Amino acid sequence: MNKAFNTMVVFNGYPLSVVVAIVIHLLILGLLFYLQSTSNAETLELVQPTIVKALLIDENPQLAERRRLERAEMQRISEQRRRQEQEEAERRAEAERQRAEEERQRQEAEREQTALVERERQRQLELEREERQRQEQEDERRRQEEITAEQRRSEEQRRQQQEQDRLAQQAAAEAEAAEAARNEFELVQSATGLIQQLLQESWSRPPSARNGMRAVLQISMLPTGELIDVRITQSSGDAAFDRSAERAVYSAEPFSELQSLPIRVFNENFRSLTLTFEPQDLLN
Amino acid sequence: MDAGISPIDLFLNASPSVKMVFLILGFLSVVSWVIIVQRWLVLSSARKGVTSFENRFWSGMDLSQLYKEGSVMQKENLQIVGMENIFRAGFKEFMRLRQQGMADGEAIMEGAQRAMRVAYSREEEKLEKHLPFLATVGSVSPYIGLFGTVIGIMNAFLGLASQAQATLQVVAPGIAEALFATAIGLFAAIPAVVAYNRYSSTLDGVTSSYITFSDEFSSILHRQIHST
Repeated sequence: MNKAFNTMVVFNGYPLSVVVAIVIHLLILGLLFYLQSTSNAETLELVQPTIVKALLIDENPQLAERRRLERAEMQRISEQRRRQEQEEAERRAEAERQRAEEERQRQEAEREQTALVERERQRQLELEREERQRQEQEDERRRQEEITAEQRRSEEQRRQQQEQDRLAQQAAAEAEAAEAARNEFELVQSATGLIQQLLQESWSRPPSARNGMRAVLQISMLPTGELIDVRITQSSGDAAFDRSAERAVYSAEPFSELQSLPIRVFNENFRSLTLTFEPQDLLN
Repeated sequence: MDAGISPIDLFLNASPSVKMVFLILGFLSVVSWVIIVQRWLVLSSARKGVTSFENRFWSGMDLSQLYKEGSVMQKENLQIVGMENIFRAGFKEFMRLRQQGMADGEAIMEGAQRAMRVAYSREEEKLEKHLPFLATVGSVSPYIGLFGTVIGIMNAFLGLASQAQATLQVVAPGIAEALFATAIGLFAAIPAVVAYNRYSSTLDGVTSSYITFSDEFSSILHRQIHST
């Protein structure tokens, strides 16, 4: 036995073994860390399972049109209000200026008149009474004028107030309508989701189905959710596929959830419904 | 969950029972590696000892000379391994019995053989030490890993029960964690099994050469008794 080997296996080689074992484990841990840091860039991709999805696209032109109109109306109202405010401010500034002008003229006239009276008191004593009378008449007329102006102003103000009230009421009514529309939209959404789910469950796709095929069906329903008619408005080009879509609609019928909808909502959205069938995530 | 889940995250996010399993398996793995390395040192030194001692033994050297060399080595605190120990035990007993003036050759032979058998079983014991542990780790740690996996998947499904919607993202981390337990179990088991098989075949080789040697040596002693 050589000496080096003997010193290596001192204490039966246990210390050396412990060190080696720990080093091996640390190395493996380090390798794991390293692989982790290098493979971080290419993240794990979830492979989506093959699902046949019946897509139901809710093409509701009435609702969309109404929403567009509402938006335009809102815009118009705010524009109008802005314009009115501007006009009112201008009008107020104008009235202020006129009043100041009148005041100034009146003061000037008074001063002139008193000076005239002072200067020509002796000479025009006989005229004074007449003059005063005239002046009184003038005053009276002016006062009356002022009163009428005041009345006109208050009248104007009241009218504006009324106008504002009317606008506020209108806005409130519009908000209410929008709220109702939103509720209705939610109803429509949930009903659409239900129909979609029912169709997905009952649709069995033929083997000839391929990605990118698309069949559009127009169905008419009664408010009880019963089916009246199914028409293929756009064929997918594959007769089996079209038939499977049609069969899916027939086997999913009746859509009894539609009974709970308000009749108006039903009439607007579901009396005639466009369904689009598209297979997705096929592997071919 | 982030884009990537590292094994370390899996460990840190695991439930306590699964964490326990990870710790146990890690410990078993470290210990089994300690034993693998230590046994490798012992067995390889034993194998080398066999060849070097056989070389010396069959070189035609006088047996008492060989014994004296061994005594010198012992005094220098060098380890005497395996076969030489058997030789020394047998030779010592043989010389002692002869010096006591025992006339019966068979009795002397029997005494020497008994001493060699004792030394042999001691040597075998030394070599075999800890090998059963490797066998145990090799067979048990996959089960421990499997246990962790079952517990982990159970937890994943329990977590799923409280979710309204079962998505892959909810179950995936739990299942990954669970499978990681099996991976660690296999990681601990594979080296242990490989080392156990390797070492037990080496052990067989070494012990059979010990047995052969002790037979040969007793035949030499036998010759010596009857030649005088």
